[in-house]
Amino acid sequence: MAYSTKVIEHYEHPRNVGSMPKDDPNVGTGLVGAPECGDVMKLQVKVNPTTGVIDDAKFKTFGCGSAIASSSLATEWLKGKTVDQALTIKNTDIVNELSLPPVKIHCSVLAEDAIKAAISDYKKKQTTAEKTEEEKAQPTA
Amino acid sequence: MLSQTQTPTLQACRSCGGGAPIDVHFCPQCTKILSLGRHGDYFAFLGVSRKLNLDEGDLEQRFRTLSRQFHPDYFYNAPPAERRASLERSSYLNDAYRTLRDPAQRVEYLLQLALPRAVEGPEGTGSQQGIPPALLEEVFALNEEIDEIRQLRRSGAPVEAWQTRLERARAPIEAKRRTHESELRQLSARWDQMVDAHAPDSESREVLGALRQRVQERTYISNLLEGIERELAQ
Repeated sequence: MAYSTKVIEHYEHPRNVGSMPKDDPNVGTGLVGAPECGDVMKLQVKVNPTTGVIDDAKFKTFGCGSAIASSSLATEWLKGKTVDQALTIKNTDIVNELSLPPVKIHCSVLAEDAIKAAISDYKKKQTTAEKTEEEKAQPTA
Repeated sequence: MLSQTQTPTLQACRSCGGGAPIDVHFCPQCTKILSLGRHGDYFAFLGVSRKLNLDEGDLEQRFRTLSRQFHPDYFYNAPPAERRASLERSSYLNDAYRTLRDPAQRVEYLLQLALPRAVEGPEGTGSQQGIPPALLEEVFALNEEIDEIRQLRRSGAPVEAWQTRLERARAPIEAKRRTHESELRQLSARWDQMVDAHAPDSESREVLGALRQRVQERTYISNLLEGIERELAQ
């Protein structure tokens, strides 16, 4: 099955390839994989702590053209969204935008999983950060 | 060797209306070929137990024997229902044999059969069937290393520079594959013992779960090795 022009566009000119420091408390990292095809996808978001808006998103995917295009598109969509808005991105939106054939739907599922994993990693970091803040705030009487 | 014939499931003979056990191919009453309605799985169809270490010679022998018995040439003058049955059985037999003779496909088929998919997401999603995060991290790092070497090669670095690095990257993946293969062998042997011992489901499910994890690793390992081979061929 031939790839759609949009998939090829993203594959040849992937947006936002790269990585951000994993230990940054404002960066959420999602690493997911599809064992059936051996794909691995890493997606990261950098959230502005005061506004809750995603300032930057990066990805690196080792897999087929559709997996690369799905994650590339996901990073484009993530920028400028709030964390909660980001969670509303559905794999079907990616399927429609890239005209993915049925055999490549799992690539879009992978991208949605990666978004969720990245956001949940960010949220986890925030709660642990708040806890340490509270502990610090406790007076050492 | 008998297969799981304890199941009370029957298939019906369309020629005489009699009943036949699920794993026979010809009606015990009227000897006509049974149409492929309700039938056993690939293991039962070939008359072998659900083991992972199958005697491949025996399997081939069974395939050849059935292949001859079902051969459409013998049903050339038979009524249409029998002609169709011979075609259906021949084609199912080919699928069964092709799947079971390959050890990799055999274990995948067994997992499909004996270990129903873990809880799928609400929209049939849920690609994350519990792949250990450590495995993903490792696979990602190894992929990145191969990627860097590829860029090094493309940037016109001397052959020795990237070839040595590539060989070095190969070592941990080869080691991983060896561990993977020996674990797979051990688990397969344990599974086969359980089949013989009619172990309870709770125990066998644990072995099947471990087998599934090994199967999930397999594609990652072979993709990585292929990636290295591709680079070395440049």
